[in-house]
Amino acid sequence: MTVYQGTRLRVDLGSGKIARTTTPDKGIGARSFNSATLFNELAAGVDPLGPDNILCIAVGPLTGSSLIATCRFIASAKSPLTGYHGDSGARGFFAPELRWAGYDQIVFTGASDRWVYLRIDDDSVELRDASHLVGLDITQTTVQLREEMSDPDLQVAAIGPAGENMVRYAIISCNLSRAAGRTGMGAVMGSKKIKAIVVRGSKPVKPEDPDRFKRACAELRSRIETHPEFESRGKYGTTRIMDSLADMGVLPAYHYRSACFEHLQDVNGAALRKNHVVKEKSCYNCNIHCSRYNFTENSEGEGPEYEAQAGFSIKCGNPNLDLAVEASNAVNRLGLDCISTAEMIAWLMECRHEGVVHEKDVDGIDLSWGSREAITRLPEMIAHRQGVGDILADGARRAAPSFGPAAEELTVHVKGLELFSADPRGIKGYALMNAVNSRGGDHYRGEPMIELTGDEALAVKRVGDPDAAHRLKEKGKGALVNYAEHLGILSDSMTICKNISNCMDVVDFELAAEAYSGLFGREITAAQLWDACSQTSQIERDFNVREGLQTDEDTLPRRFLEEPIPDGPAKGTRIDVGSMVRDYYKQKGWRM
Amino acid sequence: MIRCDVNRCVGCRMCEVNCSDSHFGAVSPALTRIRVAKIEELGIDMAVSCLSCAEKPCLGCPTDALSVGQDGQIILDAELCGACGECIDACPVGAVSGSGGSPLFCDLCGGDPACVESCPTGALVDDRDTHVSLEAFMPFTGTPGQKRAHYVTSMAQPQREAWLAGRRVDG
Repeated sequence: MTVYQGTRLRVDLGSGKIARTTTPDKGIGARSFNSATLFNELAAGVDPLGPDNILCIAVGPLTGSSLIATCRFIASAKSPLTGYHGDSGARGFFAPELRWAGYDQIVFTGASDRWVYLRIDDDSVELRDASHLVGLDITQTTVQLREEMSDPDLQVAAIGPAGENMVRYAIISCNLSRAAGRTGMGAVMGSKKIKAIVVRGSKPVKPEDPDRFKRACAELRSRIETHPEFESRGKYGTTRIMDSLADMGVLPAYHYRSACFEHLQDVNGAALRKNHVVKEKSCYNCNIHCSRYNFTENSEGEGPEYEAQAGFSIKCGNPNLDLAVEASNAVNRLGLDCISTAEMIAWLMECRHEGVVHEKDVDGIDLSWGSREAITRLPEMIAHRQGVGDILADGARRAAPSFGPAAEELTVHVKGLELFSADPRGIKGYALMNAVNSRGGDHYRGEPMIELTGDEALAVKRVGDPDAAHRLKEKGKGALVNYAEHLGILSDSMTICKNISNCMDVVDFELAAEAYSGLFGREITAAQLWDACSQTSQIERDFNVREGLQTDEDTLPRRFLEEPIPDGPAKGTRIDVGSMVRDYYKQKGWRM
Repeated sequence: MIRCDVNRCVGCRMCEVNCSDSHFGAVSPALTRIRVAKIEELGIDMAVSCLSCAEKPCLGCPTDALSVGQDGQIILDAELCGACGECIDACPVGAVSGSGGSPLFCDLCGGDPACVESCPTGALVDDRDTHVSLEAFMPFTGTPGQKRAHYVTSMAQPQREAWLAGRRVDG
């Protein structure tokens, strides 16, 4: 059934034509719109970096409303990293502005022959020359556009040098450091020669049933403020998770060679606050303010989140937090995904440790654990495709063969997307999520957070199985991942922050239904929302199958299946991925 | 009037959302009487609304549509307002909101400001007795947004200096 049909901008970069149409009519918001558009409009087998790919940027009906943290846009395209469905969300302040300008989705087709940026000012929409912005990093691009348009409040989503050079894990960022980071959406934007999208909007978002909508907003605010993690999330944000992951024995130290990091106290959330954080920062309309502004010896910027912090420290065997935070600031400016970049560097360091890659293979760069040279220079070289950076810019799966089969064996990716900074062996729900979700090796599709809190009662409530809360058990994970995946799609369509909705478990389908019903002034049920999410999940799967996905790709890197965690609290654990995948397929009604 | 402590503001814009929503039952940056200036490349955030300043250059309204209420708030007589936008341009810190020339002044919500109530960090204070001088900001020309950015950057100078000198949030 039609839940919501919004306004769509179609921008054809080949002809320069801009048209207003409507979004696909089965959507509940951003991700659901984009996934349907890609499935309906893309032919199988198109080159992700060619003019036939489509880039969609979307928000949803709740974006920019008074519902807390409805602040994300979703960028979707066929991924140049995986070759399958790609998408990624960014928080901050760009998405609400796009909604206030009156648009739910922008669909870019074709490719421009010169660099352009798209300017949206309510009803006025135009492509403008961006040749003067080429080569600028994301901060410089944003500041330059705000200055030349005499508008410090302008919202800008831009790519950096990495996107321009079509690094396959380039990001699109707004507010300098809020990244749509995964699956290379910045590379697709670069392939179309779009340097930035700038937007100003002034149209109101007005609920049709204000009392009902207000009640849903108040309920969400209350659930957040009474949540046991409310204070610590405000103080540490995602960096709080590092100590928990250490306690569980799932740190990815020295590229998964150890689950314990001897320098944990020097690089954790407390160390970050003590030495680098100068203030807390927030996204649009959020009462948690889980982000932070940092200073290092040589840089400053917003962040890091856990992934950049752990990726450039623990994963790379680097005890120097100042260096890790500096790397986080650098990749944000260059426009690189911090997860994929950290994984590439840590992988090379392990290859060097194993003696299968040598400094001479990487332009003489020191690849010892924690090497300052590797952590500072490689991101620059990757973003500009200089020297070995040109090979590394294509991601682990494509780069590895250049370094030989032994190096290839050490890569950590699923379907070409590099993994996060945790060891999936000791968190089986996350392992399954990484194995099966539509964008490849990714934990954030929907966080199966219940297994981190170990809350059996909640596991029973959500998926009817207390074992789902046991992170070392394979049992119950099919249902858990299916639920988390649905909640992820719901959040990606409501455009609410998943750190809140999924990780704090404060948004459920009933509350979402109240918010939608209040906004539209008609009854939208939890079951309808669940079905809409099932439909999006199926569309993404069908897209991937059409692109040639085989079921044996729903797995994890060999080491996680065969080699047990060598040390720490989860010592001895490995993954029986087959049983979990079968369980998950059963939940989905899919055949092996 | 509403004052913002730049050291506490995290830039979430909940004040804008709740100002807009409480007055109009809708959310839009064109409908809020308080605006958060975000100087992202410097890490600065600060909300700006009418400060009921000592100078009150907005009162130079050519149609005498503006007067001062008992709490220092600027009161607009909509029947007299010609929507010329002069008051918006006259404010040295860009605190007068409004599009199409029709101004929106902070009305203190009749006594219980929605922005103060909604601020998650306690950065906003309802202080009706202070009337700061904004004379130092008079010479700066630009759009209201540029004036807000200029004002906020200036107000955040001590904060920036402390950061550069090594002050950390837990320090």
